[in-house]
Amino acid sequence: MSAVSADLVEHTARFCRRLRAEGLPLGPGDTLDATRALGSVELLDREDVRLALRTALVKRVEDTPVFDALFESFWGGSAPVSRNPPVVPPDAEEKESEGRSAPPRRRSVQTWQEVEDLAVPAPSSREALGRQDFSTFRDDELRAVTALARRIARRLSARPGRRWKLSRRGDHISLRRSLREALKTGGELSTLTYRRRKLRRTRLVVLADVSGSMDLYARLLLQFLYALQNAFSRVETFVFATRLSRVTDELRAPGYRDALGNLSQRVQDWSGGTRIGESLAAFVSGWPRLVDRRTVVVVLSDGWETGDPAVLDAALALLHRRAGRLVWLNPLLGSPGYEPLTRGMQAALPHLDVFAPANDLQSLEQLARHLSL
Amino acid sequence: MEREGYVTDRAVATAVHLSMTLGKPLLVEGHPGVGKTEIAKVLATVQQGDLIRLQCYEGLDATTALYEWNYPKQLLHIRLQQDGSQSVAAQEADIFSERFLLKRPLLAAITHQGRPPVLLIDEVDRADEEFEAFLLEVLSDFQVTIPEVGTVRAAARPSVVLTSNRARDLSDALRRRCLYLWIDYPSLEKELRIVRTRIPGIDERLAREVTAFIHSLRRLKLAKVPGVAESLDWAQALVALHATHLDEELVRETLGCFLKDEEDLRTVSARLDAGELAALSSPVA
Repeated sequence: MSAVSADLVEHTARFCRRLRAEGLPLGPGDTLDATRALGSVELLDREDVRLALRTALVKRVEDTPVFDALFESFWGGSAPVSRNPPVVPPDAEEKESEGRSAPPRRRSVQTWQEVEDLAVPAPSSREALGRQDFSTFRDDELRAVTALARRIARRLSARPGRRWKLSRRGDHISLRRSLREALKTGGELSTLTYRRRKLRRTRLVVLADVSGSMDLYARLLLQFLYALQNAFSRVETFVFATRLSRVTDELRAPGYRDALGNLSQRVQDWSGGTRIGESLAAFVSGWPRLVDRRTVVVVLSDGWETGDPAVLDAALALLHRRAGRLVWLNPLLGSPGYEPLTRGMQAALPHLDVFAPANDLQSLEQLARHLSL
Repeated sequence: MEREGYVTDRAVATAVHLSMTLGKPLLVEGHPGVGKTEIAKVLATVQQGDLIRLQCYEGLDATTALYEWNYPKQLLHIRLQQDGSQSVAAQEADIFSERFLLKRPLLAAITHQGRPPVLLIDEVDRADEEFEAFLLEVLSDFQVTIPEVGTVRAAARPSVVLTSNRARDLSDALRRRCLYLWIDYPSLEKELRIVRTRIPGIDERLAREVTAFIHSLRRLKLAKVPGVAESLDWAQALVALHATHLDEELVRETLGCFLKDEEDLRTVSARLDAGELAALSSPVA
């Protein structure tokens, strides 16, 4: 054991900050661990120092290359070179480059000519229209969408979980409680108490793109969001184009017309350009408690990203890690011949659990399958 | 550790050392069959403590991991006490006392007397996420509250080793609580030492050929890549057959020792037919 000098503590803390900047999930406790780890190895041996820091600071094998590179540059010097090659599983490097590097190698559709070749609605190149009028809708359409939302809600609600609760009837006997009851009757098990699984509560977060390129589908989409919000209580709805707005409360209205009225007041950037990455990043940082393992996150967008795809990539990676399931519904996926080549879609694909079409009622019908955890 | 027959490298040794000195759980990840579980066993031998093992599986819950009341014993006790000399409350306190508690691995580790034990939580990725959250509670302060008995606190903190095959991604919260170690397939040289240490009677040439062959297999795209455990199984089998070196026929006869997938068997047989692997299995200088 050797004492750790104040200088070294300082240096270690700086090293941890640099790792954090590179995206490793480290807290103050980890810095402390790293310092303590250094206190219990031979400081003159560079390999010992490297292994000690790596054990304390790297929490998943994919982060090893980042750590090794930073260690080399940060603790560089004339000390002996490491003897063991860094331990990286064969696929780690691939994931690494997918996860972090800039995206020049990704195929992308950038010129407008290519866009027209794809024969799908292009992202809005015209001016944002400002407030839009969605009030044209047919009652029977709305009824069909509402029925669908109810079916989805039913699937989401009734699922037995892992924890137990006592009940008067059920298929499992709670011996613990029954024996306690039996004490009154001298050990005679006259009444049995049962237990059953507590219901597992799935939550739904919907993030819907309402930018110009989605206009074609906006009517269906809004009806769906409205119906879902009112059929199921544990759903949070957000819409975005260039900015993210939470519209859960606006959608909870007694009638569709009222909801639309609320929405058009709340949301200022209907049909504008799209900044998917920034909007999702705003969601991740603004509502961190909303997403856990029992949450299904649904992104409804065509993937026409005008912002930086790297931001989208990072936000989705985080969402994917936190959420029980990450679903991306793309209305364009329903059109024949469409391939998800846009920069946004390319950045998104590696992080998705489900990538499905959402251009009409039938495709939304399929959605129900993906939503229960 | 080497003394206990576990051939190690500095990364493993450092991780185990730090886990002991810092008192933090060690999360070990790696491909199947690289000796993750073995770390806990060796650690227990080194510390001269007991090894308590919790094997995780889907649907594992607190009654199997933590504790359960011994109902038949409780029932018997009530029957024997039937003379009515005791009030119901006293009886209740009696049968819900520690004597009637069945200690499952986690509680056993916490209440363990004597030298602190090693708690091995094996294949934690197989248990569901709710269990992981529950595990976090236990690992953070090593105390458990049983409604009828009260809070049980660990006298001496057990060393904890968690292993994962990455069947699913573990939560960041769990990772943050642990020190981390990734075990890769060993180098040729290290694996050779493992084979020699674990199978003392093995012919030197055979040991070299077996490890070289397995190493060349790992470069193929197989569904179930043979781990160190498979090398050892195979070497053991060959020793039992009194083999001193590998030849093509022997390899064919014993393929089942290290290939556990039908598709893989076909792939490797095809390679053997083409005479490709025979060259690879020739002894390394």
